[in-house]
Amino acid sequence: MPHGIPDYNLATVEREVPATEPPAWEVNDKLKVVGKRIKRTDALAKVTGTAVFTADVQLPGMLYGKMFRAGIPHAKIKSIDVSAAQNYPGVFAVHVLEEMIEGANPKSGEKSSRYPDIKYAGQPIAGLAAVSADVAEEAIRLIKVEYEALDFVVDLDEARKPGAPVVFATDVDQEASDGGEDIEQGLKSSGNVRGPSTRSFYGGPRGDLEKGFAEAELIIERTYRTQVQTHCPLETHGVVVDYNQGDVTVFASTQSTKNTRNDFAKAFGLPKSRVRVISEYTGGGFGAKHALGNFGVMAGHLSKISGRPVKLMLDRKEEHISAGNRPNSVQFMKLGAKKDGMLTALKQLSYGTAGVGLGAGVGRIAQAMYDCPNFKTGQYDVFTNAGPGAAFRAPGNVQGAFALEQLIDELAVELDMDPLALREKIDKSMIRKVERERGARRFGWTHKKAGSDKGPVKKGIGVAQAHWPRIVNLDSTVEVRVMRDGAVEVRSAVQDIGTGTKTVLAQVVAEELGLQTEDVTVLIGDTLFPIGPSSGGSIVTGAITPAARNAAYKMKQKLFELAAEKLETDAGNILLEAGTFALKNDAEKKISFKDLLRRMRVEQLTETASRSDDYGGFMVGTIGHGELGSVQFAEVSVDTETGFVQVERMVAAHSCGRPINIGQIESQINGGIIMGIAYALYEDRVIDKSTGHQLNPNIDQYKMPFSFEVPDIQIELIEDYGGRSSTDASGIGEPANIATAPAVANAIYNAIGVRIYDLPITPAKIIAALNNAKNKNDE
Amino acid sequence: MIEFILNNKHIQTNEPPGMPLLDFIRYTMDLTGTKSGCREGDCGACTVMEGSLNNNELKYKTIVSCLTPLGNVQGKHIVTVEGLNMNHLSPAQKAIVEQGGTQCGFCTPGFVVSLTSHSLTDDAGDPEKTRAALDGNICRCTGYKSIERAATALADSFSGRNGENTLEQLVATGHLPAYFNGIAERLKKIRKLAEPMKTNGILLAGGTDLLVQKSDEIAEGELTFLQDKKELKGIAVQDNICTIGAATTAAEISGSAELQAHFPALQSHFKLISSTPIRNMGTLGGNLVNASPIGDLSIFFLALDAELKLQDNKGKQRRISLKDFFLNYKKLALKSREIIESLRFRLPEKDEYFNFEKVSKRQHLDIASVNTAIHLHIENDFITKAALAAGGVSPVPFFLVKTSKFLTGQRLDEATLLQANEIMQDEISPISDIRGSEAYKRLLLRQLFFAHFLTIKPELFKLRNLLTK
Ligand SMILES: Cc1cc2nc3c(=O)[nH]c(=O)nc-3n(C[C@H](O)[C@H](O)[C@H](O)COP(=O)(O)OP(=O)(O)OC[C@H]3O[C@@H](n4cnc5c(N)ncnc54)[C@H](O)[C@@H]3O)c2cc1C
Ligand code: FES
Ligand code: FES
Repeated sequence: MPHGIPDYNLATVEREVPATEPPAWEVNDKLKVVGKRIKRTDALAKVTGTAVFTADVQLPGMLYGKMFRAGIPHAKIKSIDVSAAQNYPGVFAVHVLEEMIEGANPKSGEKSSRYPDIKYAGQPIAGLAAVSADVAEEAIRLIKVEYEALDFVVDLDEARKPGAPVVFATDVDQEASDGGEDIEQGLKSSGNVRGPSTRSFYGGPRGDLEKGFAEAELIIERTYRTQVQTHCPLETHGVVVDYNQGDVTVFASTQSTKNTRNDFAKAFGLPKSRVRVISEYTGGGFGAKHALGNFGVMAGHLSKISGRPVKLMLDRKEEHISAGNRPNSVQFMKLGAKKDGMLTALKQLSYGTAGVGLGAGVGRIAQAMYDCPNFKTGQYDVFTNAGPGAAFRAPGNVQGAFALEQLIDELAVELDMDPLALREKIDKSMIRKVERERGARRFGWTHKKAGSDKGPVKKGIGVAQAHWPRIVNLDSTVEVRVMRDGAVEVRSAVQDIGTGTKTVLAQVVAEELGLQTEDVTVLIGDTLFPIGPSSGGSIVTGAITPAARNAAYKMKQKLFELAAEKLETDAGNILLEAGTFALKNDAEKKISFKDLLRRMRVEQLTETASRSDDYGGFMVGTIGHGELGSVQFAEVSVDTETGFVQVERMVAAHSCGRPINIGQIESQINGGIIMGIAYALYEDRVIDKSTGHQLNPNIDQYKMPFSFEVPDIQIELIEDYGGRSSTDASGIGEPANIATAPAVANAIYNAIGVRIYDLPITPAKIIAALNNAKNKNDE
Repeated sequence: MIEFILNNKHIQTNEPPGMPLLDFIRYTMDLTGTKSGCREGDCGACTVMEGSLNNNELKYKTIVSCLTPLGNVQGKHIVTVEGLNMNHLSPAQKAIVEQGGTQCGFCTPGFVVSLTSHSLTDDAGDPEKTRAALDGNICRCTGYKSIERAATALADSFSGRNGENTLEQLVATGHLPAYFNGIAERLKKIRKLAEPMKTNGILLAGGTDLLVQKSDEIAEGELTFLQDKKELKGIAVQDNICTIGAATTAAEISGSAELQAHFPALQSHFKLISSTPIRNMGTLGGNLVNASPIGDLSIFFLALDAELKLQDNKGKQRRISLKDFFLNYKKLALKSREIIESLRFRLPEKDEYFNFEKVSKRQHLDIASVNTAIHLHIENDFITKAALAAGGVSPVPFFLVKTSKFLTGQRLDEATLLQANEIMQDEISPISDIRGSEAYKRLLLRQLFFAHFLTIKPELFKLRNLLTK
C-alpha cells in the first residue's frame, strides 16, 4: 500500500491485512470521491433550519428541567428545603443530587453527609421539572439551602500555598475522558496539590537530566503561564430524557452516544440495552461533551419521578461555570543545548488547575516533539474551588505548546539562529520537515530580527509546531445496507458534532461501491446502531471510516456474487465502476448497480464490519508516517502605543494521513486557528477572588472572536500515507489549534522585541512589557 | 392582543407583550430553526428579519429575537429561517452550502437570516458590506473563512443590479418566497394601536438594555412601548439645529444622509457600536437613560453639547442640557414618569471638527473600555471652542469641563495637547474592572485624545512627538 508523502518519499509498503478487508486504495489522485471537496451531506438541513438539535427536541407532555446551583464556592450543606418548590403550581418533580459524577472524587466513595459538599460556586444541588421553562425558573428560586460556609480558594498560586483552604481532604482520582489529557491514577495529594505525574501517553522520563544539563553549553530557564479557556459550543450541554419505566430514550447534545448511554445505565442501574441515546445533530463540543454529566443524571431522575419526558438544557452562564474548561497552567521550563542548537536536556515542571477536577497535565508535547535524549516532566494538578475542567481540543498540548514553542524560539534568539532552521535541526519528524518547507514557501518566510520595524506599528513573524498522537478506537462498527429500490444506507452510533462524520462515511462507502456521495444515506448518532467511537482525540475519521469501508467491501463481495449470477460468469471476472457491474473483458456485458438491486431476491442485504487494529500493530510514540504534525506561521502587527495586536495572516501546514474531505479538513483548520488566536489574545475566564464567582459567564465579556478578528489563512494540506488501515485516514480537529498561540506569541516577540509570558496577550500586558523593557534600558 | 405576521402566517396572540419573541417563535409556534445561544444579544443565533411599513414602504432589517419583546413586533412582519425556505435553496442558503459555510450548523440559521436581510438592502452587491452584515453572528466552529466566502459569492451574484433591488424582483429571482409580495398589503390591514402617550409601568424602547438587565420584570410587568411612537421618531434639521427623536435607532442615525453630510465619518464611527442587529434595535433615548459610563451615543452627543427635551405624563415639557443629565452612577436628572422626547444640537459648521474614538479588546460587538468624542472650533490654528467627552473613565458618561475649558483659546500645538492631557488625567477617575485596569484606561484615553488631533489635523501632529515628550 502507499506509504510516505507524494513528491517526497512516496513508496509502497507491504502490510498483513485481515482477509475480510479490502485491498489498499491508491493515493487520492487516483480516487473518485475520497480526497475531494465534497459538499456536506447535511448542509441542506442546516441552512433550512430543519436540522433538529437536542435543544429543539419536543416530545408530547415534555417538561422543562432546571438546576438549583450553589451560590457560594465552598460549603457544607446543613439543610435543603424543597417543599415550596414542590408545591408550586406546574412543578411535576423535584430531585436532590446525592452524588457528583463530574470532576474528581475520593476513591473510597465514603461520604461525610447525605449531600455532597459544595466545592464551587454553581455546583448543582437540586433540580426540578415544570410545565414550562418560566415556571421552572420561578420555582427554582423557592428552593432554600442552608450552608455552613467554608474558606475557599480560586487562584492557582494561592491554592498551592501552605495553609490555603483545602478543596479535597483526601486523595482523589478521576477517569480520563475520551481524548482527554492522561490522568495518572493513584497519585497522592498534599494540600491542594496532587502529583507529580511524571508520565505522559508516550511513557515516562528518559535519559539523565543532570548529565544532560552538564553537557549543555547554554541553559535557558523560563516560566510560562496560560489561562482558563471555556469551550463555549454554540449549543450548550443538555439532554431530553424520556425514562419511560426503564426503557429510556435520551436525546443528548453529546460527543459520545456510547458514553452517554453507559453513564446513564450505570447511574440508574439499568442494562445498557435499555438505554437508547440519540444525537442526530450536536451544536459543537470541543471536548466538553463526552459524558452524561450531573445535569443528565438530574434529567433522568426528574423524568423517572414525573413519568414524563424532561428537557434540561444549560444556559450560557451554567455552560461557562460548570460544563468544563481548559485548565490553566504555570510551566517552569529548563532547556539545555549545545551551541549548534542540539538539545541536551529538557525539564518541565507544571502546575495547573482543573478546578475540582483532574486533567491539568501538559507534558505530552514536550515529551514527544523534539529529539532530546534527557527529558523529565513533573506535572501537578492543583485543586481550586472552581468548576471542573474537561478535555478541550488537544488537551494539555495547547498549554504545553505555548511554553515549549516559545522556549525553542528563545533558544533560536540566543543562538542567533533562524527559528525555522533550528527546528530543522532538532526535529526528526519527516512530516513536519515537509510542512516546514512547504509552509515556509507559501508564507514567504525569511528570518527577521526582532523589533526591527520602525514606527509605532510593528510587524513580526513567528512559527510554531505541533504534534498530536494518532489514536485508534476499535469500538468502531458500521453497518451497510442495500435495498431493493437502490438505496444504500450506512448506520453507526457514532455522532457528528459538526466535524463532517456523516459526509466522510458517505464518501468512503460511495468510493468502495463505485457510487456518488448523494447515493448513500448516512444514519448515525443513535445507540440502536452499531457502536461508534467518541468524537474526541481526533479519533473518529481514523477509526470509523475503515469500518465503513470494510463493511462496504463485504457488501460489494456479495453484490459481485449476485452480479456474477446475472451476468453468467464468475465474480472474479467482474468490475464495479461508476455505478455499473461489467465483465472485465467485455464491457458490453453489464448491469447497473440499481438494476442489480432491483433484481435481488430479498428486500435488503446487510453487512457489518469493525475497525481492526492498525496494520502492522498500533504503535505509541513513534513519529512516523501517518502522524499528525503541523507547522503554523503567523504574521502580526502590534501597535506599540495602544498594545493592539492584529493577526494579519497565517499559513498552516498540516497532515492527517489520507485526507478524505478537503473542504471539511480546511474548515477544521480554520476553526482551530481562530480558537488558537482567541486563546492567544482574547479569551479568559476570570473568577473573582473575593466571591469565587466568575465575572464573565457570558459572551459579552468572555471574548470569542467574530469574523472581523479573522486573519487571512492559507492552508498547505499534505497527504501522508502510513498504510495503517483500509482508509489510512486520520483526524484533524485537535492538531489544528495547538501551534497557533505560540506562533502568534513568537510573532509578537518578533515584532516588538519583548516577550510576553502569560496568556492572553492583552494590549495592557504588551504596554506593560514595553514599559518594563524601556525602564530597564533607561537604567 | 398582539397582531403581526410570522413568516406567511397571521398571528394574533394573547401572550404577554414582554415575552421574548424568541420564546414565542420556538415554544409557542414550535419553529425551532431559530436558535438560542446566549439570550443576551451577543451571539446572533436567534437573528430574525423584521419588516415594517414606513410611509407605505416595506423595509426589512435584522433583529435579535431574544431581546425583542412581543410588544415591539405589533403590526410587523417577522421572518425566521423557515419563512425563507422555498422548494429550492435561496441564493444565501446555496452560497453557504457551496462554500462549506456550516459545520455543526447551530449558528447557520442566524447567518442565513443576516445574509438574506442584507440582500434586501441597496448594498447587496458590496462584498465588504455583506461581510460586515455578519458582525452580530458568532460561529464557534468554522473559523468564518467559508462563511466569508459565502458572503462574497452572494454579493457577487448581485453585482450589476445597480441598486434595483425591490422585493418583487427578489421574489422573481428566487431570493425570497412569493408570499413576500403580499406582505405590505397585509400589514396595512393590521391596525396600529393608536393609544395616547402614556408612561405607565416600564418604558421600553429597543429593549437591548432592558431585556438583558431586567428580563423577569419585563416578562411580567406593565410596559409602555416607545419604539414605534411617531412623536419620538425621526431626524429633522431646521436652521442648522438637528433634532433627533428619542426612539430613533443607532442604525437610523448612522444611515441619515443629512447627518452624514455634516459628519463624514459617521458610518465608520457607528460601526464601532455594537452590531448590525443591535444598532437596528437600540435607541438614542435608551442609550442615554441606561446611562452606562461607556454608552457610545451618550459620549457622542455630550461632545456636541446636546440638549434634551423631556416630557412628563401630563404633557409638561422641559429642556435640560445633556451635560446636566448624568448626575452620578446610573443617576439621572429625570423624574419618574418623565420621558425623553428628543435631543437637539447645533450641527458643526465651517472650521468646526468632530471626532469619535473607541477602543476595546475585541474590535466588534464590544462595549468600549474607553471611548471619547471631541468637538472643536479651530481658527487660524487656535482652538476657539472645545468640547471633550469620554466614557469608561468616570461613573457617568463624562463631559470634561476643565479640559475643554483649558483647550479653548489655546494654540493648536503639541505643547497644548501635552498640557491638556495632564489636566485630563487629573479630571478623570477610572476604576479597574474586567474591561481594564485603571492605569490602562488612563493610557488609552491619552492615546485616544491624541488620536482626535491626529485625525482632525494630521498635518500638524506626529504621535511620536507627542509620546516621546
Ligand atoms: C449585544 C449588545 C451590544 C451592545 N453594544 C453597545 C455598544 O457598543 N455601545 C453602547 O453604547 N451600547 C451598547 N449596547 C447597549 C444598548 O444597545 C444601547 O444602550 C441602546 O442604545 C439602548 O437602547 P434601547 O432602546 O434598546 O433601550 P431599552 O433597553 O429599551 O431601554 C433602556 C433604558 O432606557 C429607558 N428609556 C428608553 N427610551 C426612553 C425614553 N425615550 N425616555 C425615557 N426613558 C427611556 C428604559 O426605560 C430603560 O430604562 C449593547 C447592547 C447589547 C445587547
Ligand atoms: S440568543 Fe444570542 S443573540 Fe439572541
Ligand atoms: S457551525 Fe458550529 S457554531 Fe457555526
